[in-house]
Amino acid sequence: MTPTLTGTKKVVTGNHAVSYGALLARVQVISAYPITPQTQIVELLSEFCATGALRAKFIKVESEHSAMAALIGASSAGARTFTATSAHGLALMHEMLHWAAGARLPIVMANVNRAMGPPWSVWTDQNDSLSQRDTGWMQVYCESNQEVLDTVLQAYKVAEKVLMPAMLVLDAFVLSHTAEPIEIPDQKLVDEYLPPYRPIYKLDVNDPRSFGALAPPDVYMELRYKMHQAMEEALTEWAHADEEFSELFGRRYGSIEPYRADDADLIVVTSGTVTSTAREVIDELRAQGRRVGLLKVRLFRPFPAQLVRAALAGAKKIAVIDRNISFGMGGIFAQEIKSALYNAPERPPIFGFIAGLGGRDITPTVIREIIDYTESHDEPEDLIWVGVKR
Amino acid sequence: MRKPIVFTSEQEMPPMAVSLADMGHNRTGSWRYLRPVYSEKLAPCKNACPLGNDIPRILSLVSEGHYEDAWRLFRETSPLPGVCGRVCYHPCESFCNRKNFDEALSIAAIEWFVADACFDLEDAIPERPHRSERVAVVGSGPAGLACAYFLAKDGYAVTVFEAASQPGGMLRLGIPHYRLPREVLDREIELIARWGVEFRTNTKIGQDIEIETLWEQHDALFIATGAHRSRALNIPGEELALTGLEFLKAVNTGKPPEIGKRVLVIGGGNTAMDCARTALRLGAQPVVVYRRTREEMPAIVEEIEEAEHEGVQFEFLAAPVAIHDLHGKLEVQAIRMRLGEPDTSGRRRPIPIPGSDFILRADTVLTAVGEEPDLSFLAEHLETSEGIVIERAQGLLERAGIFIGGDAQSGPSTVAQAMRSGKEAAQAIKSFLQGQRKPKSLKLEEALRVNFSYFTHKPRVPTPQLPVAERISSFAETKRPISAEQARAEARRCFSCGVCNLCDNCWVFCPDAAITRVNGSYEVNYDFCKGCGICAEECPRNVISLIEEEL
Repeated sequence: MTPTLTGTKKVVTGNHAVSYGALLARVQVISAYPITPQTQIVELLSEFCATGALRAKFIKVESEHSAMAALIGASSAGARTFTATSAHGLALMHEMLHWAAGARLPIVMANVNRAMGPPWSVWTDQNDSLSQRDTGWMQVYCESNQEVLDTVLQAYKVAEKVLMPAMLVLDAFVLSHTAEPIEIPDQKLVDEYLPPYRPIYKLDVNDPRSFGALAPPDVYMELRYKMHQAMEEALTEWAHADEEFSELFGRRYGSIEPYRADDADLIVVTSGTVTSTAREVIDELRAQGRRVGLLKVRLFRPFPAQLVRAALAGAKKIAVIDRNISFGMGGIFAQEIKSALYNAPERPPIFGFIAGLGGRDITPTVIREIIDYTESHDEPEDLIWVGVKR
Repeated sequence: MRKPIVFTSEQEMPPMAVSLADMGHNRTGSWRYLRPVYSEKLAPCKNACPLGNDIPRILSLVSEGHYEDAWRLFRETSPLPGVCGRVCYHPCESFCNRKNFDEALSIAAIEWFVADACFDLEDAIPERPHRSERVAVVGSGPAGLACAYFLAKDGYAVTVFEAASQPGGMLRLGIPHYRLPREVLDREIELIARWGVEFRTNTKIGQDIEIETLWEQHDALFIATGAHRSRALNIPGEELALTGLEFLKAVNTGKPPEIGKRVLVIGGGNTAMDCARTALRLGAQPVVVYRRTREEMPAIVEEIEEAEHEGVQFEFLAAPVAIHDLHGKLEVQAIRMRLGEPDTSGRRRPIPIPGSDFILRADTVLTAVGEEPDLSFLAEHLETSEGIVIERAQGLLERAGIFIGGDAQSGPSTVAQAMRSGKEAAQAIKSFLQGQRKPKSLKLEEALRVNFSYFTHKPRVPTPQLPVAERISSFAETKRPISAEQARAEARRCFSCGVCNLCDNCWVFCPDAAITRVNGSYEVNYDFCKGCGICAEECPRNVISLIEEEL
C-alpha cells in the first residue's frame, strides 16, 4: 500500500482518494475513530504512517468528539491536521466543530455522507453534513474520486488562507467504495501548490498565549463578524485556489458548475454524485431538442449566492434535487437557493424535490421524472417527494 | 499593574480569542483558596517497619541497580539486613499500598537480595568524636546487637556480654539454620564489631559477672537477655519431655539429641513450627499437638504453610493431660477440646470435652507453649508481671541508668521488634548520658492516596523455594534468593508512596504552567497557581498536599 510513485494514474476508491489527498498534503497529525463508510480513509492513512510514507502522528481516540478535540489541540500548536468521519460520528463531533471554527483552526475533514439513524442505515444521504451547516465549517460536495483527491488539496489551500476549517463531502459507497482511475498528482507540484502551514498564532512554550478564553459581550460580536468576513473572503479564495490548481494540474471544478445551462429554460440543481447521472440525462434530453441544463453546487459553505443568482437568472424554471430533508420545511439546497434568489431581480420559480434518501438510487429515470414534472407544472411547489410508495 | 488592552475596532483584534499580552494585571494566583505544597509523606511500608527502613528510597536505588547504595541505606536504620531479609515477618508488605492494586511488593526478598549482593561490603566508618562514656549491653540477640550498633556509631564504647560461646542470642540459638545460615549472622555481627563493639562471650550475668559490677564499671546498662525460659505445661510426667528451646539450641549448636521417629510437638507458635521442621530434618515424623485449631495458631501463617508443605502432621483440638514412660517409649495422655467463647486474646477459648481422653505415642515429646524472660538476676531492681517488665519499673530503671528492652521486656516477640527496642534503647541511653530528654519524633502523614491510573498490573516476584524433598533432607536454606534481574523488576513495581521520584506529572498537568523544574525538584509559582489541585490529584504517589489558604 505504500505509494512510491506519484504523478501517475491509479485506480482507487473515493475513500482512498481522500487518503492520497491527505498524504500529498503532508498532513502532520491525524486523529480519527472508525465508522462505516469512512474507515478505509484512515485505515490507509494509518498504513502510510506505519510505513513511514507519511510522517504524521496518528492519534487513536475513543470517540469522534475526542478525535476533533485532539486535532484542535494539534492545529492550535500549528500542525496541519486531518480527520475523516461519517453520520453519527460527525454528529458526535458537533460541539468540537464549533470550537474548531471559533478558534479559527484550518482543520480539514472528509465526511462520507451517510444517512442518520434510526432506522439504522449505512447508505448515503446528506443530512449528516447539512446538520452541521451553521458550525462555521466550509463544505464542499464532491462528484468524482478525482475531485475528492483534488479537493483535499484545495481545502487546505483555502482553509489555511482564511483560517476556517473545511469539510469535503463524498457520497457513501457511490464514491467511497467505488474505484475509478484517477491521477495522483506529483508531490513536487503539490508542495509548490501547498506550502507548509504557518499559523499567525500558535501554542508555543516560548511565546505563551492563552487561546479561547472568555470574551465579554464587548468583543464577542466582533470575533463573530470576523468569522463571517473570513467566509466571505473564502468565496474568492476558493476561486483563486481552483484557478491556481488548474494552472499546475490542468483541472478545475468551480464553486458551482453550470452545464449546458446558458440557454436552458429548465435548470436542474444537484450536488454530489447525482450530478454525474444528471449530466447524462441532460445530454440525452438536449439531443431530443429539449432546452434543459444543469447546475452543480459544489461549494455549500460559504454559499456562492452571487454565482448561483447569475447562473439561474435566465431560466424559466428551476428543479432542485435534495438528497436530504429538513423536517417541517423541505430540501436544504432548495431553501438555500430560494434564499439566494429572493432579493435578486430575476426569480425563476423553484420546484423542490426530495429523492434518494438513505441511499435509494437516483437513476436517470428518476431525474427524467423530475424534469418532466417540472416542465408539466406551472405553479412551483416547495416539496415534492420522488418515488415514495404511497 | 498593567492595564488590559481595549479594542476600539474589529480591525485591531486578532482573528480568534488569543491573548496579546500577559495577564500581569490579573495574576491567577489571586483566585486560589487551596495551596498545593510538596510535602513528602511516610510510606506505609516504612511506617510499618519496626526499624523505619527507608523502603521507597531503597527500592528506588535497587530499581536502578545501585545495590551498594541500597545496602548502605539499609544500614542507616538496621545493622542486620541479611538476617531481616530472611527472618523478618515483613509487616512492611502487609501495609504496602500496592496490595490494593494487585499484590504487595516482595520487600523482604529484595532486602535479602541486597544483603547477599553486598555480602563483602563493609561500612565506611567515619571519623567521629570519641565519647568517654562506657555502655554495657547484656545479651547479644537482635535487641542487644541493634543497641550496640547505634551507640557505637555515635562513638560510645560498648561492650556486649553474652552467656553463650558466640554472639547472636536467639538468632543463633533459636532460629534453625534452614531459615538463617550462620555465615550471614556471623558476617553482620562482624560488621557491628568493626564499629568498635567489644563482645564478651561465655559470660553469663548473675553467674560469671554480677549486675552490680557491671553497673559500677559502666555509665549505662542495657538489659537484653531475651526470653529463654520455656513455659511449663504443668502436667504429670512433664520431666519426660524436652523443651522446644533446649532442643533447638542443641541442634543449632551442632549437638542434635536422639529423638527417634515419632516426635510430638506441643504448642502452636513459631517455636513449635521450628521444632517440628527441625525434627523433620533429623529424620523424624513430627506431629504438632495444638489445643485450638489452625485459625488460632499464634505462629506466622507462612511458617505454618511451610511446615504443612514439608509434611508436618497436625493434631488440632487436643491437649496433653499427662506423659507416661512406657518401657522407654512415651505415651501422652491427651484430651479433646472444643472452642468456646473468645478469651482476652480474642481467640476462642479451648474447653476440654469430658471423657474424651485418648493416647498419643511418641519417642520424644517437645514442649513449645511459650517462653518468658528470666530476670532473676535483676529481681531486686524491678517489678515484673508474668515475666514481663511493667512500665513503672522501667521508668525506675532508666533513672538509675539501667535500660531494658527486647524480649526481656516485652516477652517473646519478633526479631524486628527486638531490634527496634534496642534502637530505641540506644537513643534513650544517649539522652540519659547527655542529660537530655528523648527528642520528640515528628510523625509524618502517611501516604495512602495512590493514583492507580498511572500503574500497570504486574505480578509479585515469587520467592524461590527448594523442592520439599531437598528441604527436609538437610538444613540448607529452604528459600532461595531472587536474581538481580528479578530484584530490579520487583523494585520497579514500587509506587514510591509519598516520595517524589521526579515523574513530572505535576509539571506536565499544571494548566497554568505554574510548576517549574528547579534543581532536581519542583517549585510552584504561587503568582499564577489557581489552586485547582490537578497536580495533587495527578501525583501518582501522594507527595503533593492541598492546604487551605488563610483568607
